[in-house]
Amino acid sequence: MKKTLQKRPKGSPQRLWSRQVFFTLSSLAFFILVSMQSIAQVTGTVGGEDEPNLPGVSVVVKGTTNGTTTDMNGDFKLNAPANSTLVLSFVGYEDQEIAIGNRTIINVTLAIDAASLDEVVVVGYGTVRKSQMTGAISSVKAKDISDLPITNTQQALQGRVAGVDVMQAGSRPGSEPRVLIRGRRSFGASNDPLYVLDGIPLAGGIGDINPNDIASMEVLKDASATAIYGSRGANGVVLISTKRGESGKGTVSYDAYYGLSKAHNTIQLMNGEQFAEAKREAYRASGNYVDDASLFSAVELDGIASGRSTDYLGGLLRNGNIQNHQIGFSGGNDNTRFNMSLNYFKDNGVIPNQDFNRNVLRINLDHKINKIFSVGMSTFINYSIRNGENFNPLSGALRENPLGETYNPDGSLNFLPTEDGLRSNPFSEIVDGAIVDRRRSNRSFSGLYATANIAKGLTYRVNFGPDFTIEKYDRFQGTYTNARRLAPPAAQTNNETRFNYALENILNYEKNLGEKHTLNFTGVQSLQKDRRELSGISVSGIPSEAQQFNNFGNASIIQGVSSRLIESTLLSYLGRVNYGFNDKYLLTVSMRADGSSVFGNNTKWGYFPAAALAWNMSNEGFIRDVSAIDLMKLRVSYGAIGNQGINPYQTQGLLSQRSYNFGSSAAFGYAPNTIGNPDLKWESSTTLNVGLDFSLYRGRISGSLEAYSVNTRDLLLSRNLPQSTGFSAVTTNVGQTRNSGFEATISTVNVNNGSGFKWATDFTFFTNKEQIIELAQGKVDDIGNGWFIGKPLSVIYDFEKTGIWQTNEADEAQSYGFAVGENKIRDANNDGVINSDDRVFQGSGVPDFSGGITNRFSYKGLDLSFFVFARVGQTIRSNFHTSNNTLFGRYNNILVDYWTPTNPTNDFPRPNENQESPRFNSSMAIFDGSFLKVRNINLGYQFPASIASKLGMQSLRLYSSIQQPLIVSPYISRWGGIDPETDIDAQISGNVSPSTWTSTIGLNVKF
Amino acid sequence: MKNIFKSILKLGKLAKIAVLSMALMLTGQSCEDILAEQVISDIGNDYINSPVGFEDASKAAYSYLRAYYAQELGMTMMQMGTDTYTQGADGGYKKYNLYNNDLDPRDRWVRDLWREFYRGINTCNAIIERGPKIEGITPAILATRIAEAKALRAHYYFVLVQHFGGLDLRLTESFGPITEISRSTEEAVYTQVLKDYTEALPNLPKSSSEWGRYTQLAAEAMLAKVHITRATRSFGSAADYSAAESFGKNVINNYDRSLLPDFASLWELGNDEHSEAIFSVQFDYDLLSAGGAGNRWHLYYLMEYDTQPGLGRVLAVGRPWKRLRPTDYTYNKAMVNRDVDARYDKSFRKVFYATREGTFPTTLDNSKDNITLAVGDTAIYMPGYEMSKEERAKRPYQVYTPSMYQFKQFGVLAKFLDPLRASINETRGGRDFMVTRLADIHLMVAETLIQQNKNAEALEHINLVRRRAAFSGKEAEMNLTVADVNMELIYDERARELLGEGHRWTDLKRWGKLIERVKLYNELGAPNIEEKHNYRPIPQGQIDLVDGGNANFPQNPGY
Repeated sequence: MKKTLQKRPKGSPQRLWSRQVFFTLSSLAFFILVSMQSIAQVTGTVGGEDEPNLPGVSVVVKGTTNGTTTDMNGDFKLNAPANSTLVLSFVGYEDQEIAIGNRTIINVTLAIDAASLDEVVVVGYGTVRKSQMTGAISSVKAKDISDLPITNTQQALQGRVAGVDVMQAGSRPGSEPRVLIRGRRSFGASNDPLYVLDGIPLAGGIGDINPNDIASMEVLKDASATAIYGSRGANGVVLISTKRGESGKGTVSYDAYYGLSKAHNTIQLMNGEQFAEAKREAYRASGNYVDDASLFSAVELDGIASGRSTDYLGGLLRNGNIQNHQIGFSGGNDNTRFNMSLNYFKDNGVIPNQDFNRNVLRINLDHKINKIFSVGMSTFINYSIRNGENFNPLSGALRENPLGETYNPDGSLNFLPTEDGLRSNPFSEIVDGAIVDRRRSNRSFSGLYATANIAKGLTYRVNFGPDFTIEKYDRFQGTYTNARRLAPPAAQTNNETRFNYALENILNYEKNLGEKHTLNFTGVQSLQKDRRELSGISVSGIPSEAQQFNNFGNASIIQGVSSRLIESTLLSYLGRVNYGFNDKYLLTVSMRADGSSVFGNNTKWGYFPAAALAWNMSNEGFIRDVSAIDLMKLRVSYGAIGNQGINPYQTQGLLSQRSYNFGSSAAFGYAPNTIGNPDLKWESSTTLNVGLDFSLYRGRISGSLEAYSVNTRDLLLSRNLPQSTGFSAVTTNVGQTRNSGFEATISTVNVNNGSGFKWATDFTFFTNKEQIIELAQGKVDDIGNGWFIGKPLSVIYDFEKTGIWQTNEADEAQSYGFAVGENKIRDANNDGVINSDDRVFQGSGVPDFSGGITNRFSYKGLDLSFFVFARVGQTIRSNFHTSNNTLFGRYNNILVDYWTPTNPTNDFPRPNENQESPRFNSSMAIFDGSFLKVRNINLGYQFPASIASKLGMQSLRLYSSIQQPLIVSPYISRWGGIDPETDIDAQISGNVSPSTWTSTIGLNVKF
Repeated sequence: MKNIFKSILKLGKLAKIAVLSMALMLTGQSCEDILAEQVISDIGNDYINSPVGFEDASKAAYSYLRAYYAQELGMTMMQMGTDTYTQGADGGYKKYNLYNNDLDPRDRWVRDLWREFYRGINTCNAIIERGPKIEGITPAILATRIAEAKALRAHYYFVLVQHFGGLDLRLTESFGPITEISRSTEEAVYTQVLKDYTEALPNLPKSSSEWGRYTQLAAEAMLAKVHITRATRSFGSAADYSAAESFGKNVINNYDRSLLPDFASLWELGNDEHSEAIFSVQFDYDLLSAGGAGNRWHLYYLMEYDTQPGLGRVLAVGRPWKRLRPTDYTYNKAMVNRDVDARYDKSFRKVFYATREGTFPTTLDNSKDNITLAVGDTAIYMPGYEMSKEERAKRPYQVYTPSMYQFKQFGVLAKFLDPLRASINETRGGRDFMVTRLADIHLMVAETLIQQNKNAEALEHINLVRRRAAFSGKEAEMNLTVADVNMELIYDERARELLGEGHRWTDLKRWGKLIERVKLYNELGAPNIEEKHNYRPIPQGQIDLVDGGNANFPQNPGY
């Protein structure tokens, strides 16, 4: 038959006919076959061990995509062939398979999944069951991330993990928060944690990662957990795993949110009248005030007469908005699984020309070639555009005289609103095209792997992670800007190309020796190379504003050109053994050797051992019988970890270019600039960590407690030198610091009753005490560097303002060399002179404690959560109170209660025209930085499956969220500040983009 | 193992093998090769050990001069708080005029001067120490470059010692962290400065084809300056005056230098390399070689003209930072005899021309309510003397007289104005900064002669300078007689001739007259100045960072 058909010419009637017959027959046969298997409707109710009705349980006919979910009463209805098998699954319960037989009503009670205590946790170079974990590791899951409008990866950690401080000042789009795990330990080297993305340690940043792609994040905190990352683990490690496909029916998902953001407030400035009065006072103070006519310029007089008071700050703010769209495809079969997503994120800040746009394509693939080999990749390609990274018109607005003439009579902007030649109109900064400040970044990162199951229990894996970034930063300043003030435009471009790869060979061996002994060995060899090429040019005198930075050749002046190459290499070998006895006693021992190019020739290699012991008390007979205790595990770990986070070339003495000329010919020269230090070596931290993991009453109360002490030695210290040596500083290994602290993470399920109402609370609390133990000269304070034994790594050491010199204190003030109305500084050493010996400690940016509480309520499909975070006891410097508090009648000033003969306040000194800032003004800016913030309130609704399916969806969730709706702080209530949250440097920049609150609506759909 | 091999072969997954073997190959390199750090885009310290690197280091040794001369740092420390100049409206460094408690060891300028000049000294030390060991440099060039480095080292130490007194006398290149440091005596620094200049002198060229390098001429001029300064120190002696006299006379007699015929041509743009120039710090308009520096003194003496009626900021005048304002002494005691002596006329800017047209209400001149101007008209005239209201009223522009001067509007020293800058707000000017010129040497020689009671001979030098300063045809009227010759005359004559050129603070200190004359002539500084102000405070960082702190590196008394 086949042969004859083949012989027939293509498209002949006979061929078409025979095909039709074939299809008809086979369809018929199929129909008959299917109908032979009788389809019946099956109904039932699903409950759990702890509650009678479970809504949302997935009920699927095994081996098909035919399925449903239970409704609010736990009931389901499904058409299923007789003799087929149903698979029921629900989070927190064990999966159950039920053979239908001939039944049409099936009631099921699902068993609580004891193994949920035994979820798998990602650790360095492997995974481990939670009950087997010996280190201090905290996890954040995808659900915590995708439920919220989270804009960057760091934000997902915020407040969720004890011991992790995520700090962000202001709201500039695209800026990334600082993450500190258990405080700072190093002066000169980095204090940033190591990020590991899908097993590949990253050298570049994590700003390009799309938070919606993250399946889980594990934060490794103690030596036992981080020592496997050796030289890079000293500041903690964050393991990021992205979502991977699962075999079964493919899903298409769409997640989106849109939000509006608004500045919380703005710093209060003087209005026109208040400014005029402050200016008069500034001239009264010097005895030069006669009358308004001789003091004020014509524009100012006009402003006073007409009651003009331009709110430049308000005029420069807008409502921001934020939006995110992600479309995802995932699925696969037993051999191949995939997860793909495309994400668009846009954050338009509250200041014009400040925005950030991120576009990320992700492809994760896993393929099993055969029983032995598997390969896969996790790749993202990113394109992001950031505007306004170094642009902020607010600093000009904060200074601008409010009496000025903002607009010309014809309605156009008046470039110089007053006669002050230095102050141009802040509004002209945001005229389209006046200033362009743009960074465009392209990055592609791939984590490629291949594994081989060499023998039973023995696997080999190779990871290769190329990471390629091209970044271009452009800046243009037009003629009508404060930077140029009518001079011809200026522009600059900086390019960076970065290529970085990690190549790792990993061998893993797992063996159970008898019933009671489990053994696991991991060996890794790892190579990481980083290469950065930078170049830049800056010019001025661009003939046409439209050219911006697109034709440097036309510029009349080249201000500077540069290029640079930075390379570094890290080579590592490591081994780890996990041994478990009877699931009661667990031991982890690891050793890592790291060689880094950035250190001196004799000191490239560092060795970092660690050990941890865990005792699973709940598996001991005497506790096993206590029904209230599900899990009780005590852990102790001790180990050394290194820090190489310094820039390359610091071991080398380098020259710098110097410019000079002889006559009119240029004479560039080179002179010693940095002192080399060929003995520079690894900084090393030893951590002792004691932890307790527990779970009580079937998980109603669970959590962990940790106490630790980290001693860091051989600090990579940029140590200041007496300048008479010809150098300012040298990087050395000296000194010692200690971090000690306590962390608690507790989750409780407060209410979980049959009505479907559930209330759960997550509580984190942590303290970290930073201390300098030893410096270059032993236990001796280093005042020049601001380092003091027993104090945190940076402190506020300054004059203490006790008030203002009052009229009746004139003589005493005079004796100190002060005048009435000036800042009164405490003579700390009582020697009758105010000099640098009178500086005292006034705190540091390190809080006494931090903590957060998240409350989650759910009822049926409805969920509500709110997250409150507090940081208490830190001291901050508010630069608003110095740089915008100059009180000399020239620039506008923040609205402060200043001293006058008739207003004898102790807050701020008297304005005086003959100062560019009040004397000892740094003492006016030191405040208590404690705060409490409601980080977010989130309300969501998960539509019942029945409704979702009518809409053709697998699931549908709608939510609404408010980010940072409330900040409570003495800095706000007493000193008129906006947001006391700072980076660890404890500085509030006068140029910060105001903190915002954002209200968002979002949607998660699965098809 | 056999199994693995088999399965690989069986499956023929060549790609996988390639990945694996590549991985092994890449990591199979020697560790030492992989971890070696190569400096590519920077220049390592060894570069100086090559002939070309040595040449580059000796160029760089000059560059530190730019950190002090012609910057705000130098302006503040050379001119502020003297009898000729007091503070204007702007600037955060009025403490140098007020001599109040703010002038303390944390001050930025003392720190910066200390840091930058010690970097220069370290570079000189590198040249002096390494030079002889480098192969491939012709001996003549080597000798010249080492001589230049010694002269520069002496120059840096001389400036530092005048401000700070005793120093860290560091004569070897620094390697590694050094903190065992002690403070030498002031005398030891002077001894070293003289030693360096003396050793440099024979190996320096008489003149250099590269304008701005140290020459014998410059070194002899500086030797005169060092000696005349040392003479007034406790360890100085009369022999210093005769030495200064002899070096000064060498400068006058043995070289091709001569006074310019017209005082005004000293300040002509583009005339930096004139016949009166002896040693100048080099600047240029090429912003690439300016490297962030540039002569900034055009900013400091200019009054706020651009807010006045009919005026806006223009490149032809400049950018007014109004830091320095002449004292009454300058107007009324120094710049006298103005119908004969042209130096007031040729030092000050008297007219500002309108850049906007219209009718404007007057500001300082109350002789009329309004002035009406066209672009290019005189908007402000500053005659430098009082003018009656009636006389002023006749003029269609504002007349600012000294009695109207205040912090923002005052007599404008025009010597440094620089309309050739790239743009109106460009702070980097291209004029050379004159460290010393022949008239300075003549007046110094006169000073040494007076100190040696040779007033008649001193008079010749003084009259030579004075005659050049006359209005054309009035030279004879400038001549003084020997009866006029005394130190008071030197004080006034240097004020007239060298007004605002950066000599005054060190001059006053040399004469021991700083406190007396500030109390007399600088109203704002008078209440606070005291004996301790003859020295600047040692930067706190230096004291805090040396082993033993203040005990090993004591602060100057009173700070």
